[in-house]
Amino acid sequence: MVDLVQYLVGGLTAGTLYGLVALGIVLLYRSSRVLNFAHGDLATLAAFVGFTVLLRRQPPTPFPIGPQTGWWSFLPAMAGALLAGALAGAAFYFLIIRPVKEATLLGRIVVTLGLALAINGLVVLVWGADTKVFPFPLSDVRVYRLGGVVISQLSLGLTTAGLLLVALLYLLVQRTRVGLAMRAVAQDLTAAQALGIPSRRIFALTWGLAGMLAAAAGILAAPVTLLTPFMMLDPFLKGFAAAVLGGMDSLPGAVLGGWLLGLAESLFAGYISFKFKTTLAFLIIILTLMLRPEGLLGREYRRRV
Amino acid sequence: MSRVRLLGTALLLVGLLLPVSLTAQERGISPTEIVIGSTLPLSGPAAYWGTGVGGGIDAFLRSVNDAGGVHGRKFRVVLRDDSYLPPRAVLNARELVERDGVFAIVGMIGTANAFAARDYIAESKTLWISPTTNDIFAGWRNRKYLFVTYPSYLNEGRILTQYAADKLGTKKIAVFYQNDEYGLGLLRGVKYGLSAAKGVKLVGQASYEVTDADVSAQAVKLRGSGADTVFIAATPGQGALIVREMAKLGWRPTLLATFTLGDPIMFVLAGEAWNDVYSTAYFPLPGLGDSKVDQMLATLIRYNAGLARSPYNALAGVTFIEPLVEALRRAGPDVTKDKIVTALESLRNWNGEVSRAVTFGPDRHQGLNRIHIVKSSGGKYVKITDWITYPTQY
Repeated sequence: MVDLVQYLVGGLTAGTLYGLVALGIVLLYRSSRVLNFAHGDLATLAAFVGFTVLLRRQPPTPFPIGPQTGWWSFLPAMAGALLAGALAGAAFYFLIIRPVKEATLLGRIVVTLGLALAINGLVVLVWGADTKVFPFPLSDVRVYRLGGVVISQLSLGLTTAGLLLVALLYLLVQRTRVGLAMRAVAQDLTAAQALGIPSRRIFALTWGLAGMLAAAAGILAAPVTLLTPFMMLDPFLKGFAAAVLGGMDSLPGAVLGGWLLGLAESLFAGYISFKFKTTLAFLIIILTLMLRPEGLLGREYRRRV
Repeated sequence: MSRVRLLGTALLLVGLLLPVSLTAQERGISPTEIVIGSTLPLSGPAAYWGTGVGGGIDAFLRSVNDAGGVHGRKFRVVLRDDSYLPPRAVLNARELVERDGVFAIVGMIGTANAFAARDYIAESKTLWISPTTNDIFAGWRNRKYLFVTYPSYLNEGRILTQYAADKLGTKKIAVFYQNDEYGLGLLRGVKYGLSAAKGVKLVGQASYEVTDADVSAQAVKLRGSGADTVFIAATPGQGALIVREMAKLGWRPTLLATFTLGDPIMFVLAGEAWNDVYSTAYFPLPGLGDSKVDQMLATLIRYNAGLARSPYNALAGVTFIEPLVEALRRAGPDVTKDKIVTALESLRNWNGEVSRAVTFGPDRHQGLNRIHIVKSSGGKYVKITDWITYPTQY
């Protein structure tokens, strides 16, 4: 029983991260139908920028700092990472996605794939390919106990931050004029433009927001998975599966999908097999597309003409 | 007119190149140069190993070059990235041989990668020294140009398991392993050790995939097995993650880990959870009193400051390449592949800058058959047993 709850706790923590990644993917997909394969690498880039900000006053030793840092040195790093994510997202839109807007949808998706490789190469070039510890104000080893079940400060913080971000994003999209404009552009671009909505600015904003979400996922993932240029490979794949499961155009669906996938994985690994844990994500994608292609919370799939 | 000139230039170029290709007797050897290649994970989940080992090989050869090279020839190193993926390792081996024209392939990280590439390398009759695996070559026939200076995971698993049973009071052991030939080889080693240790049982096993970022479920599963000892056969990243997860659960069994986790970065990645871990070593670890090894490490870091982050892997890179450099010295200025084979086979109990007791012979291409046990404490490993030898297989 204790083990079961412990599996659930692990699954929820991982699931929150998947959900965060899925949110960024869904946000972009809703508005532009572009599946951003560079999302994970954007997250990595932002995390490394945050890492550099953290290190700025450290003496250059081979192993600079321990796993923990205070809030006051972390907050500038977090701001730096979020800013880097947002700027990189918006820059992609202006420099790359917009100039290739004549390309087919598939073409634009392939462009993001190329971007992913380019960013990854850049990160390896600048920061090196080895594994680093990402200092974080919350401890991964300090834990809270409830009965026999253990949850670390970091897991708790990660889950809380994830929930907070989801709520904020939901409010932004559903309750503000900017959010309304984003939804309008997503639903009918021509009509939105005819009504005077500055679609270019709205798209750039969406890309920037998605970049910021990527950055948030990056700095929340890095302390758990350790900081490497390849740390988002697995969370990105899982985030993508979560997005499909929850519905590619539903923000709450993304989070729900993340949690369900995290829980399913953890239970599957614990009680059935570790070896097919990764396969499970693919299986879920296939089953969702076969049985309910619009996803759990997605609206029915319509071809946009 | 311009086309005629182009044709003329092309002919001239062919004329210039022809004598070179006719006089070059051995691929990868010219009067001034020896081309050495390797395929390593310079990206992906095992990049920490690849950058350390590749950097070590490169820095060592540059230091040899700066000291005048070998018989007037300088080394040129071609490192190709395989991301720790076996298919790319095969492709890289092919490119190294057919495009880069290397004289020898040095190293190759990953048992699964070496297993995938071995047939091609043997067929191309390329000299292959020190892939980072060993047991997969036992019973394999095409070993004429293969020389291994890497310990046997099978025997490492056995020796550590027996040590734990004899000295550490281990009764129930569980294994955390990578789901490929590397992890499975060590799992076999633990089972091999158990067959000799009475009263000790394998009570649990949990595997992970190289891309896994979350191993919390594995930690819960291992704890549930009731093991008092856990053997770790993983990459540094996942090795650190699993001990952190165990620490989080407040569960601290006796920890055994394979020597590939020998870098001090483990203390950074895993923190205090990496204290009192039992592991092994096959060359004198830096900072423990062997001045030759310490000097070599200082040299490597002078050539590549980044290697300070992976001293153990950088030195391991030196152990892969230095027997070949010694053989090239012994073989004299007229290099042929067969002369190098003879020279390598003449190494008896040979000590290099870092390598110790390397022995090859006409019937022996497994150059190393001893390790000793170390224990981690306070940021470094301390030697706690003398050398333990095991039988050679080929």
